[in-house]
Amino acid sequence: MGTVIAVISGKGGVGKTTTTANLGLGIAMSGKKCAIVDFDIGQRNLDMIIGLENRVVYDMVQVMDGDCTIPQAIIKSKVNENLHFLAASQTKDKSILSSEKVEKLVKELKDSYDFVILDSPAGIESGFEHTIEFADEAIIVVNPEVSSIRDADRAIGILDAKSQKVKDGQDVKKYLIINRINPAMVQSGEMLKSDDILGILNIQLLGKIPEDKSIIDASNQGRPVVLDNKSEAGKAYIRVSKRLCGEKVEFVDVESEQAGVLKKLAGIFR
Amino acid sequence: MKQRQYSLKVLEILIEEDDDKFIEFFEPKSILFKNHLISLHGNVNDDIISYLEDNGFKYQINQELPNPKNIQMEDAIIDDGRVDRKELEELEDKLKTQAIDCRIKLQELQQAVAELEIKANRDLVVMDEIIRSGREVNVDGDLLLLNRVNSAGLVKTTGNLIITQVVEGAIRCDGNFMMITVSPKANIVFNGVEVDNDLLQDKLNRIELKDNKIYITPVIKKEINWVQ
Repeated sequence: MGTVIAVISGKGGVGKTTTTANLGLGIAMSGKKCAIVDFDIGQRNLDMIIGLENRVVYDMVQVMDGDCTIPQAIIKSKVNENLHFLAASQTKDKSILSSEKVEKLVKELKDSYDFVILDSPAGIESGFEHTIEFADEAIIVVNPEVSSIRDADRAIGILDAKSQKVKDGQDVKKYLIINRINPAMVQSGEMLKSDDILGILNIQLLGKIPEDKSIIDASNQGRPVVLDNKSEAGKAYIRVSKRLCGEKVEFVDVESEQAGVLKKLAGIFR
Repeated sequence: MKQRQYSLKVLEILIEEDDDKFIEFFEPKSILFKNHLISLHGNVNDDIISYLEDNGFKYQINQELPNPKNIQMEDAIIDDGRVDRKELEELEDKLKTQAIDCRIKLQELQQAVAELEIKANRDLVVMDEIIRSGREVNVDGDLLLLNRVNSAGLVKTTGNLIITQVVEGAIRCDGNFMMITVSPKANIVFNGVEVDNDLLQDKLNRIELKDNKIYITPVIKKEINWVQ
């Protein structure tokens, strides 16, 4: 019996899909079986980010409608055999989802994988609600800026109200990933500090991902940044994946560490 | 030997030669004389004695009692039980109007009591959860909130409001006072008046309504007075 994790944000463009792809691959690299599912019906992206766009034959909606089985629709990653992918439908609309269908799909996946990561669509409409409905845990992705945090706050509120686990009287674990941290801007006070964000959202911190230009190239190439040993963001995603797998990984403060490097450089040139 | 001393009430009656109205006089008032000693003088006939005995009165006949107060005998007035009809009707009307007045007053009092009870029983609502963005909390009465109000969250109360953590969302309070710490992002409306955030600064504030005026008092942390 695996764990179902929904990756949500509320606001669009904060890095949900990138996070899903990198955590999926990171978990697979730790030796756990992981399925990543794109729930953004009508606007699928995840297939491109993990470089499997040319392999999509069946999608999630066809599985739910009974046109094919899960093993038929599942696509195995070229990079890691533990990583499996289920694509969203690009042609259908998200109104096609229904609670019963989603529950059946999620349960079947949960039975055969250690981790099932659901990439939620942006916004808080039905697509988002179906993603969180049967999730055991949720990863909330935010950028250090006010609009992203307010939207995440709203998304957490809906998660706490509509999740099936909460309705059953249990608690949905909520983890925070602060994405796209620009250390210099945090230091200069232009970007919100992690402490402030944690104070507002009041959930557990899973990791901080620094802004990294290599992510754009990695996404375009279809090779998630965790495969890049030199990338700071890649290393951060590896740390987060290990934490999800239950390993104790020390927190690296990406905000001040890089600032330390900058200070050292400043010291050299003084 | 045993002894006790006590006062006893006495009804002394002198029945004159031609007088046979004793029972007529005594009957309506008999209940008042239940514990009296009936002291009879004069022409006491058998009817009177048997009446008194039947009804269990203690009596004595033609015996002088010590009378230290020297109270004079008066003419006995016989209550014939007849009442003037007109007078009775007037009395009845008066009583009726009085009863109606009483009922109205009673209703008013009951209403006032009920209102007071509602006020007294209006429980203080205590909440300890983050009011997240998009959430609306409506409280009829007083609210003590032990957590934050996040940006775009809304808290409405008809009573007083105390929030122990930072408010970044919207507040609508119609009570007599509130104690809040607000960030510059917050929107505070107190009794229909929008409170300027600049007046609230970034610390705990007491906002009160007195004589139709709003008073804002910052609650400043006391600084330690070190020995000079």
